[in-house]
This record gives sequence, C-alpha cells and structure tokens, in this order.
Amino acid sequence: MTPASAAALSVPPAAPASRCDPVTLEIVRGAIRAVQAEMEALIERTAISAFIREKKDFYTALFDADGVMAVGSMVPVFGDMTSPVFASFPKETMHPGDLYWYNDCYGSRGAVSHSNDQVLIAPIFHEGRRCAFVMCWAHFADIGGIRPGSISPDATDIYQEGIIIPPTKLIDRGAVNEATLTIFHRNSRFPDQSRGDLRALMGAVELGVRRVGELVGRFGADVMEDALAQLLERTRKLVRTKLAETFPVGTHSFTDAIDGDGHGSGPLKLRFSLTHDKAPGGEDRFVFDATATDDQSVGPVNFLMNPGVPGMALGLYFLGGDPGQVCNAGGPQALDEIRLREGSLLWPKFPASLGMRGLTMMRVLAGINGLVNAAGGGAPAAHSAYVITIMRGTYTNAKGEKDRFLLADGLGVGYGARPFADGIDTVYFVAQENYPVEFLEIGYPVRLLEYGVVTDSGGAGRWRGGCGVVREYEILADEALMALRIDCVTNPPWGMAGGMSGGPGRAYVNKGTPNERQLKPLSDGNVLKKGDILRIETGGGGGYGHPHDRPPALVLADVEGGFVTVEAARRIYGVAVVDHAVDEAATARLRSDRYPVKAFHRNEYVDALS
Amino acid sequence: MPSPEGARHVVAVDIGGTFTDIALLDTASGHVWRAKTPSVPSDPSQAFMTGVGLAMEKAGIGAADVGRVLHGTTIATNMILEGKGASTALVTTRGFRHVLTIGRQDIPRKANLYSWVKPERPVPAARVLEVSERIAAGGAVLEPLDEATVVAAAADLKRLGVQAVAVCLLHSFANPEHELRVTAMLRDALPGVAVTSSVDVQPVVREYERSLATVLNAGVMPGVSTYIGRLETRLTEAGVDAPLLLMQSNGGVAGAKTIRRAPALTALSGPAAGVVGARDVAAACGISDIITVDIGGTSADICLIKDGQIGLTQRGQVGEWPLPLPMVDMVTIGAGGGSIARIVDGALNVGPMSAGARPGPACYGHGGTEPTVTDAHVALGTLPDRLLGGAMTLDVEKARSAVMDKVARPLGLSLQDAARGILAIVDSHMVGAMRVVSVERGHDPRDFTLVPFGGAGPLHGCSLAELLSIPRVMIPPAPGVLCADGLLAADLRAEFSRTLPVAGAVDVAEIEAIYTDLAAQAVAWFDAEEVGADARTTTRVTMMRYKGQGGELAIAWAGSREAAEAAFSAAHEALYGFTLEAPIEVVTLRVEAVGQMPQPEKIELGKGSGATPTGRRPVHLATGVAEVPVYERAELGAGDAFAGPAIVMQLDATTFVAPGWRCSVHASGALLLTHDA
Repeated sequence: MTPASAAALSVPPAAPASRCDPVTLEIVRGAIRAVQAEMEALIERTAISAFIREKKDFYTALFDADGVMAVGSMVPVFGDMTSPVFASFPKETMHPGDLYWYNDCYGSRGAVSHSNDQVLIAPIFHEGRRCAFVMCWAHFADIGGIRPGSISPDATDIYQEGIIIPPTKLIDRGAVNEATLTIFHRNSRFPDQSRGDLRALMGAVELGVRRVGELVGRFGADVMEDALAQLLERTRKLVRTKLAETFPVGTHSFTDAIDGDGHGSGPLKLRFSLTHDKAPGGEDRFVFDATATDDQSVGPVNFLMNPGVPGMALGLYFLGGDPGQVCNAGGPQALDEIRLREGSLLWPKFPASLGMRGLTMMRVLAGINGLVNAAGGGAPAAHSAYVITIMRGTYTNAKGEKDRFLLADGLGVGYGARPFADGIDTVYFVAQENYPVEFLEIGYPVRLLEYGVVTDSGGAGRWRGGCGVVREYEILADEALMALRIDCVTNPPWGMAGGMSGGPGRAYVNKGTPNERQLKPLSDGNVLKKGDILRIETGGGGGYGHPHDRPPALVLADVEGGFVTVEAARRIYGVAVVDHAVDEAATARLRSDRYPVKAFHRNEYVDALS
Repeated sequence: MPSPEGARHVVAVDIGGTFTDIALLDTASGHVWRAKTPSVPSDPSQAFMTGVGLAMEKAGIGAADVGRVLHGTTIATNMILEGKGASTALVTTRGFRHVLTIGRQDIPRKANLYSWVKPERPVPAARVLEVSERIAAGGAVLEPLDEATVVAAAADLKRLGVQAVAVCLLHSFANPEHELRVTAMLRDALPGVAVTSSVDVQPVVREYERSLATVLNAGVMPGVSTYIGRLETRLTEAGVDAPLLLMQSNGGVAGAKTIRRAPALTALSGPAAGVVGARDVAAACGISDIITVDIGGTSADICLIKDGQIGLTQRGQVGEWPLPLPMVDMVTIGAGGGSIARIVDGALNVGPMSAGARPGPACYGHGGTEPTVTDAHVALGTLPDRLLGGAMTLDVEKARSAVMDKVARPLGLSLQDAARGILAIVDSHMVGAMRVVSVERGHDPRDFTLVPFGGAGPLHGCSLAELLSIPRVMIPPAPGVLCADGLLAADLRAEFSRTLPVAGAVDVAEIEAIYTDLAAQAVAWFDAEEVGADARTTTRVTMMRYKGQGGELAIAWAGSREAAEAAFSAAHEALYGFTLEAPIEVVTLRVEAVGQMPQPEKIELGKGSGATPTGRRPVHLATGVAEVPVYERAELGAGDAFAGPAIVMQLDATTFVAPGWRCSVHASGALLLTHDA
C-alpha cells in the first residue's frame, strides 16, 4: 500500500469581507499560543502520573474546521490527527459538547505511533457552525500489556502493548460514555494514575474548547476561518520556497540506520530520497520516497510513520528560530507526494509491535537532516536517540509493607552540531524534562550516585556535537525487572564536513566489581536486586567541521568543564592543555599535522553513508 | 509606620539608567514633593544623596525629619542581564557537577530544536566543585560531610579567583546541616568572598532550579551588598537616621537586611515600583485594564494589568534564566531615550546600545556625539530645549548635527526624515514587546488604556497607541517619577513558608503548630521592620493538591479538615472544571505578612478655566512644520481640554499630544488622551 500524499491544500477564503487583517491575524496567532499554554499548564498541574506532570510528555494543537492542523506544537513527529476520527464519525455529524478519543496506531495510520499515547479531540462550534478542533495528547504510564509500563523490548505484536482504543466518542453532547472509561482504567495496572491523567486531559480539552470559542466569538467565524487558512498558507509557502532553494532539481538520497530490533536483526537501514522536478507548467514538485527502507522487524522498533511526518520535520527545520512562524500542516502540504512501502520498518503490517519506535523516529529525523545535508543544506549532524529505562518491581515502604512501583526514566543525549553552533548537550527532546534527582529519590526506591555528562561523547569538530549523560542508580527496591532502550551503539550518530561521529551509549550493572555485567542496549528482563548499581551512559551528537578548526579557547573550556579529556584535546583537536591553560607552542606543532577528512564520519571518514 | 517623633517624612528614590527620581511624602499632610537628577552610573549612591538633598530642600525639612527611606534599584537586574555579576562558583554534592549544564534536560517547549542553542550557564562547569557528603530524601544523613573535601574545594576556589560562591547540596531543603557547614567553612577560608547557601534563597525541592537561584543570588550579592553599604553610609553622613527599605520584584518592599541576604529578590525592583505606581494612578481615574510602558534612558519595561490586578509569577525569568522567586510578570527590552542610532550594513539600527547618563545623548552636551532617540525628538522639536524646569538645557545644534552626520547624510535623508526614522524604529521595538504581553497572551490591546511613563514615555504614547490601534492613552500626573511614587504606594511584604517533610492529609494539630511558628516569624519580622500593630496583616495560606499532582492550589486556611478539603475542591472545580475522587494532601504552609504604609493624599485638581497655551514652538510634523501650542501642566485644571498637536511641559517629563488626538485633564491630575477616529 502506498499512502496517498498529504491532505489536500487548504481552500482559499471566499469573500474579501471575511478576510482577517494582518493585525487581527497576529492577535489570533498569539491568542492560540496563549490557549495552548493554558491547556498545557492545566495538564502539568493536575495530571497524576510523573510521566505527564514531571517529564511533561504531552502536546496540544488546534485544527481548522476541516481538521487540518493550523497551530501545532514544535515537535516534528505529528501527522494527520483528525482524519482517523472522521473515518468513524463524519465531521458533519458532530455536535457541540462532543469529545473523541483514540490510541489506535494502525487505525489512525500512525497518527499515534505507540498505544501509550492517548489522543483527545473536540470540535468547536460557534452559532451552530463548526469552526475548529482542539487536541490534547499525552503518554499514559500503563495501559496494560506484557509488562508494567506497557512498552517492552520483548513485545512482538501490538496486542502485547496494552489496550487499543479505536476512535471512540467519549462524550456525546455532554454525556460521558462512562463504560469506556471503566473498561480502560480496569486495564491499567495503575488505575489511579490513569483516571487522574485522563481527567486532566479532558479538563484541558474542555478549556481549549471554551477559550477558542471565545476567540471565535470575538472575531467571527469567517475571520477565524481565514486566519487559520492564512497561517497554513504562510507555512506552506515558506516551506516550498525553502525546499526549492535547498534541493536542486533531481533526486537526493541519504541512508541512515538503527542498530537493530533487539530480537537478532540489524542494522536496519532507513533509505530516503527526495526528488525535485518541474511540472510542465514550471511548477515545483517534491516527492519524498522511503520505499527502499528495510523490512519490518519482529521487535517493537517499527515506526508506523504517518505520511505527514517527513513534511512536518522538514517544515520545522525550515521555519528555524523565527518566533513569528507556526509549525502546522503547511509543512506536510508542501510535499506533493509521500511514498512508503507496506511491510517496511516505516509502514509495518498489522499487528507488528511498535512500542519502542522512539529510537526509529529519532533516526528518521537524523536521516532527514542527512537528506538536507547531502543536497548541500545546513541541517544539524546526527543526534543520538534519547534513552529510556523502565523499572518495575517491589519495595518495602515506610510502614514495612511491600509495595510495587513503576519508574520510566528518560535520559538525555547529545544532539548534532550545526554549521553555526555546537550540538545541544544532554537533552531528551522538545518539551520533555527529566526527573530531578531530589524528585526521583522522594518518590521512587532508587538513589542516584551520579548524574553528569559523558566526557568525550560529543563528536569532535569545529562545532562539537552535544555530550550524552551518565546516570548511576543504586537500587533500593527489593527487586526490579528492567527494560532498556539505547540505540546508536554500533551505528553512532554521524558527523559531517570533517566533524566526527558522537560517542555510543552503554549500560552496566555493578561496573568495576567482580559482579560487573554489561546490558544489551535494547533488552528487557534485566533483573536488578537491592544494592545493585546500574550505570547508564548515553550517546553524543555528531560534530561539524574539522576538529583542528575549533578555537583552542573553546577546547580548553571543554576540558576544564569535563566535556573533553586532555588526551582527546591533544589527539583529536590538536590542542595541548597543560595546567588549566593552552600550551600555544605545542598546539601549533600538533595542528601543523592536519589529518585529512571526508564528507561524513561514522567511526571513520567516508564520502557517503550507505 | 512608626518613626521617631517628628520624623514623619518618607523619601522614595528610584534610580534608573539615566535619571534618579525622588518623591518625598509628608505622612501627616499627605503632600508629595518631587525631584529629578541625572544618575551617576559609576556611583549610583551619589545621585541618590543629591536627589534626597534636593527633595528635602524643596520640602523645607531637615535630615532628622526623615523617618523612612524607600528605594527601587535595577542594580541586581543589570548585573544578571549583562553578565556583570561577580565571578561565581557553585559547590555541589559529589557526582552532580553538571547540574547546571543538564538543567531540566529539555529543549524548551516553544523552541525550535534545529536552531535552538543552549544558553551559556551563568556558572560554567569549570567553576562547579564537588564535596563528599550525602543527605537522603527526607533529610537523613547518608554520608557525613568529609570536611577535607571542603578544604580542597576552598583551595580550588582560590585558584579560580572567584568573588562569590553558591552552595547548593542535594536535599538541603530537608536538612540544611551539611550545606550550612560548608557555607560556614568556606566563609572562614575565603575572606572577602560572598558565600551564600540555597536554603537562604529558596529552600524548595528540585536541585537545578534551586542551584540556579542560588548562583544568580551569589553573583549579585557582592555588588548589591557594597551598594547598600554605600547608601547607608551616605545616609548616616547626611544625618538621616531612618530604616532603608528596598523594593522587591513582587511589588512589596523589604528591609536592607533581608535584601543583603537574598539580593535576587530585587531582580525587578525598579520596574515593579513603576507598575505599582501606574496601577494606582489608573485606579484614581477609574481605569483597571492598562498596558504600562516605562521608557527610561536605556530600557523599556512593559506590563499588562487586567482588572487592576498586577500579575505575579513564580516562573519568571531574568534574561535566559528561570528565577523561581515571586515577581511581577513583565517584559523588558533594551530601548529607551538614550538608545543610540547607527548605520550597520546600510541599515538604520536603534539600540540596544545606550548613551546612558554619561555621556548621554548629544544634546546633553556632555561629550556625546552619537545620535540617540532623545536627539531625534530634539531635532524634530517635540522635546523642548529646556528640561527639569530649566535646570537642564539641551543643545539643539549638537542634537541636529549628530542626527545629520551619523544618520541623515550617510542614508541620503533629510534631517527630519532621519529623526522620524529613528523614532519609528524604536517605536516598533516597543510595539513588539507590547504584543508579547497582550496579543501573545490572548489580550486585544485595543481593550486597554496605554499608560506611558518614565522620562521618555509620554513622548511616545500617541505613536505607540496608533501602531496598536489603542484608542486611549493616560499620562500619569508625574510620569517621570512614577517609580518613586510607586515606592510610596507599596506595602511591606514578606512570606514565611514551610514545606511539610511528607505531604499528607490535613492534620489540624500539626498545621496549627506550624502556623504558630510561621506567625511568630512574621511577628519578629514586623518588629524588625517597626510596623505598628494596626498596620499589620497576616494571611494563612495552605498549598494543597490531589495526591500525585504536580501543582498545588493556594487556599486560605479554613481551620478544619472538612472546610479545607471543601475549599480545595471548590477551587479545583472553579479553576480546572473538575474534581477527582482522590486523597487531598497538604504540601506547604505559608504566612503572608503585609505591613501597610501610609498612602499619599489623592490629588483633586481644581476646576480648570479653559486651557491656555503659554507659548508656541515649531515642530516638524509628518505634514510639515507647524507652530504647536505649548501648555504648562501645572496650570491645567480639571476638565480642561485641547486638541493635538500640542506639547505639555512639566518638571519631570514632556508629553506630545499628536495630531488626531484630544487631551482632557482628569480631576486626579492625569491627562486622558483619546483618538479622534
């Protein structure tokens, strides 16, 4: 199956009387951002699970009357969120006070890409006319499935990854379908969290409906419609212009890889091409093709990629840091066609497992950067895929009773260097935060012994790749079963233009003792006992430019700050650091012997990655 | 506020980048005298004392008559924004050296991951040192402090040559023993270095935010401390024996002792005073929805007030940094009267570089040759050549030649077009910030009244309003010294809070015991600040949540478990639209203490007899030169009205009423400007 190209282009507004003037457009844009911020604050303050309230794995968006995303979040992984609902509940049949819900990956063509993510969408009406939709999405800590936390590297089909909610009308004109809620919460190992989190999401959507409703009331439905259309068109135009500038007419290709699926296969290649040609009328045509990607895997690293994702990623890249631009469906609309192959890692056949698709998703983003760079563009070098560990087990609480716990801890990584800046050190992803050490220790049976950067993990370069993190836990639980997800170990994030690849991640138990054991980077069933020391080190980002071109003062600062060792400074950067200072003469000598480089680097310099 | 018998005067001093403003209140009569003097950036205390002397002279009082000194300062803010605080180090628990580097491990929600650059930390990792110790969650000592590691850290700190040290150890808010010991040892080992511990700044959970607040606090501590010491010395030398109170970011004042310990509390000190003043002036006109624009010499502060409520945030930022201390929610940009206009790559740029007070704009005649926003006004004639009631003369020729030589000629423009271009650019910077507080937060600026103040504000009021289609502008009675007025209007404020060791259900006995403790702290503070018995107000606030939630709601303490839970549920329903069938727990208890200050009398202007211009002067309008009438503000009475273009002169500021606007004088002394269309 080849999914059709992204949603149809937005319809231009009809009457000039209904036009939204530039001032009002800015007010509407700002007001929507304000509504999003208010919804986000509500979720953050009222949700119960740490995954949502502290890690902040949730996003919001606003859609036009036809369900086209007009204002999204700054996350390049959203696709077409509303069509899955319309397929079961035509938008013409919707009413004020309705609320729709799903987490069905295959039923939504990858709009959600693992079942933990719950999507709530509600229509907004003004004087009987449907004007917009508002959405909240959040990752639920446990929805049933093979193991606590629902996602596990062991899962081999999606039924092992928790309950599946097809598009469902949760509220019909104000009347809540309590039975669906009861069934859903009954399937969670932590129903209190599930109940509180879903109530928080419902509250946030209700708030969004009310606030956007007020906005429509203030400006009128026609002006609102035109405002959203203009926001879409603005983004679409900008992205198409940049696509044409970045990709000369012809076909541009790039290949990246994930290490494997944890069940014996790998590396698994992601092969992308972007073809720019001219229609007979001279119009640009852009086709994104991922059909040459490797076949789907047994393990849960399949990424059911909504066809909107490549355009969303390219769009966000091209929008850059301009705060006036809006990330929306204008990105996907800028591409004329998306080609995916059913049975591939990016369009697996039902019911392949999907739970650990995060690592593949992150590699897709790196591959799209590579596509831009292979065409001569200035996208970042590759990043590592963020790391996650899930511990489930029992501990003895203050009253001496056995209690169970679930800790899903996300670890930051290094992002890729850019032609204008170093890669970002020690971050997870957009908006998603860590569990502070103090928070973690108050709430969970672990103690942290170390939380810092991994020295020398950032790919060397004129611009250094970001460094990964080390997090060392002492297990206070009686026993825990641990899942681990680290990618980019055998295929570290590539550097470019002379920059080197980032360091790989790794994990040990009781490192440096007779009981030391190294864990498989993508694995489950790792048994941890009270007193064990779990040490996880995450990977860095690729570097950019020849390391000898990095100013010695920056190398010195990296050495003094624990980002680069004295040894690496000398050997790779050609900078001699002695007694907290740069030895200028020795540095000049070292740099006089400049080693040759090639376009890309992954463990070694190569002209192209394949 | 009690003060020595006869010492019934209160003097308020606001120091901006360019001018120092003074307001002096006679608490018996309610009368206010005002003065203004150029700031002295190299030693702000100099202008401070000059101004106090000027005001006392005007009021005809002596040093012994001053019972209290109030002060708003931007010294801490500027140090943080410009990265000019003391060279600072952080001491943390072994294993956690990169606490600032990692932060919350996120790319901010509104940032673009492709272009975002992680801001440089206020203390680089090279200046973060570790000591061996460990406190567990809950406060138990897991690993005793190894004092040898503190000694080693002290040696490294000496090598690094830092001027300030922040100490923030894990779980110190639950047990400060180690942190206080490290702080004491480092103070002994490093004489002359400011050492501050996190529990003295903000004893709350989450190590990154607490470390950051401590580091910022430490960085400004030497500067603020020296500064306060210098003020106290000057006051003593002048014979003023009165307590010195400083404005905090939250819009209330606190004593010098409090501020020396936690100077970060003054991060928005000066601007907060202006906002308080603007809110009060607007209220006197019956206006409750305003956008304030405080335009000083170097920067402009913009704030939105809805329903008369000044928004406070605990998630405020100073520059790039989250500062989890209560502060007025506002936006600051580097654009003001002293902003320098220059040509860069053939394009005209204005600010953020400022000529400040010295040398100041070219027209000041202090040696400045760069054209500034003020020079553009002088060149066009909207700003007359005499300021401060004639105490300061402006050099029109120097203003013209600066604009001509540095902007007009290189761009091939006429002098007037160049001057108008400078003003258009600085206006558009300010409009950007006004959008942030209004449009970006979903407020339509057209529903608000613009309140421009600061020395340069009233010159820009009409043009800024036109750019955002705001139909109404209000000019305060003393726009140039409104921050000083705001200081007079502010109350003493302090908060005393305690986080329970373990959050749990409402336990009335435990809660009452803690409140008794906190109330005693409040009483001690009232005593120290010499607040009279009838001026004291305390409020008991309980921070509650459903078990497991990340945010708490502040509920007035209801006295019993049932009432407290009912009040919480009602507030949750009202705010979020739902309640949960889940246990309710208490997290933090807080006593808010307010010491009321005597308020200045409300001005009631006499009825006007029809506005009569005192003269006319040529102004270059977009439509050409016109002889524009000039009014003396002091001569206007209630109900007087006239049409723009017009200039209104007064001691502390000049107002330009643009063509198309109509000005009427409100009984409170404010000018109300309305657009014709």
